[in-house]
Amino acid sequence: MSDFNLLSPKEFWNPLKQYGFKHSFFNLTLSTITATWAVLFVILLLIVFGRLFFKNKKSRIRYVLITATESFMDLCTQTLGDFNFHHFSFMFALFIFILICNTISLVPHLEEPTADLSTTLALGTLSFLYVNYYSIKAQGIKEYSKEFFQPFFVMFPLNVVGKLASIISISFRLFGNLLGGSVINNIYISAIGTSWIATVINFLGFNILIAFFFTLFAGSIQAFVFAMLSLTYLSLGIQGENPEGS
Amino acid sequence: MFNTTLFHYLTVGLAVGCNSVAVGIGEGLAGLAAMKAFNIQPSARAEITRTLMLSMALIETSAIIGLTIAFMLLKPTLDHPNAPFMHYSVTGIGIAICLTGAVLGIAASFPAQAACLAVARQPFFTQKIQMIMLLTQSLMQTPLLFAFVISFFIKDQMPNVTSLAESIRLISAGLCIGLGSIGPTIGLAGFARQACESLSVNRFAYSEILSFTLISEALIESPIIFSLVMAFALLGAKSSAMCLATGGAPYIAAAIVMGLGTLGVGIGSGKTATKACQYLALNPENYSQLSRTSLTAQVLIETCSIYAFLIALFVLLLQ
Repeated sequence: MSDFNLLSPKEFWNPLKQYGFKHSFFNLTLSTITATWAVLFVILLLIVFGRLFFKNKKSRIRYVLITATESFMDLCTQTLGDFNFHHFSFMFALFIFILICNTISLVPHLEEPTADLSTTLALGTLSFLYVNYYSIKAQGIKEYSKEFFQPFFVMFPLNVVGKLASIISISFRLFGNLLGGSVINNIYISAIGTSWIATVINFLGFNILIAFFFTLFAGSIQAFVFAMLSLTYLSLGIQGENPEGS
Repeated sequence: MFNTTLFHYLTVGLAVGCNSVAVGIGEGLAGLAAMKAFNIQPSARAEITRTLMLSMALIETSAIIGLTIAFMLLKPTLDHPNAPFMHYSVTGIGIAICLTGAVLGIAASFPAQAACLAVARQPFFTQKIQMIMLLTQSLMQTPLLFAFVISFFIKDQMPNVTSLAESIRLISAGLCIGLGSIGPTIGLAGFARQACESLSVNRFAYSEILSFTLISEALIESPIIFSLVMAFALLGAKSSAMCLATGGAPYIAAAIVMGLGTLGVGIGSGKTATKACQYLALNPENYSQLSRTSLTAQVLIETCSIYAFLIALFVLLLQ
């Protein structure tokens, strides 16, 4: 997969080179790492200032934060059947992290870390492991492995591939959408050039419109879809064969 | 040696021609629906006209993109050493734009028809109906934008092509996104029409239909995303000795696998979401059950396109 991102040549950082790990698997993409730390910094700021605003009972930002959290709580309760703080906190953290990852390109000089396949594959694997760990915990290892032999015994390899395909589907959806959005943004900026028409159009706010559509709108939808799909997988895994349990 | 500029001019002509035919049919259908809506509710004339005008602006996007491509390619390169291969590669742009635009021109009129009739049924709810219509129509334009992006990349890489196998690589990149967008676009069109219709059936289900629309459209569209990633992989692939020896057959194979793999998936996923949306209007209180079942079904249907994607990727990379 190393020659997958040939479209935009990137700078790599290879910290383990002196120990002999020269394979491209150990390469770290510099822009992704800086952007991820920026995302973490933004989340830290959000937490610190959110706590400051919570002291004032009449603050509007407090109201916004509480409403957002409550609506996600409702979503969790609806999907999972009953409220579970553990699952809620994991999914909400995933949602907030991906949301800020998708919109970090509004800050100058930063690229979305989710437009890199490594980040989305890591997120997809994380959500897959979480879902399967709790499915095993809820159903027991016997019931869980019985699913793989479902219609009859021969279907075992197909079932395993189908289960693993969920990682690919969930991570490539995020990656492709974000990559497409950022490529379109770059092409628009490079194609429109420096003519006077371009300047007029940009002063009218057209470039802001495009950036808004492809980063804020598409980014938040994709973050929501990621969290929603993880929740759906989780609810299916926990309740097993009978989704009527709710 | 016959003249290869034929391919170039064919692309220029078809890019405008195909898209204009489709847009003409689509706008005609939208106008017909508006006339029917006048007939049902003559006093809502102003609202219906405004809805029609808004929708036509978005239906016309594919014709405008075809025109842009035609202007971009108007002058063929003649005195370049690789000129014949450049003319072959332009066919890729033609396939990408024509297939996508021809389907999209008609497909984008479906929500417009349903919205005109919905406004006739619920004239005091016009704003919300227009919002859903614009949202679905603008989400439907993504395959066309992706095809446009791929066309830009093909045009960028054209001067570096030195053999027929290389130009077949560029043609298959166009074929991949062109074939890949047909099925999901049809699915999106059916879903968008049902979303507008559901609003006219039960306007109190607005918030449920809005959130369901956002998730479902993103899910129906994901086969297009796989095609886009595949097209990027084709554009970035290094030409191996085997590909050159077989005349670029693996490239065509990867493109056709990906394109046909999304066809049924897009239509099926769209049908599932359409039915869920129809029952959502009748039972908004069962939102969680309906949306969960529909999402699960769509994810399972989508697995097939992932199989196609994996096979295409292996065909391309393992040589």
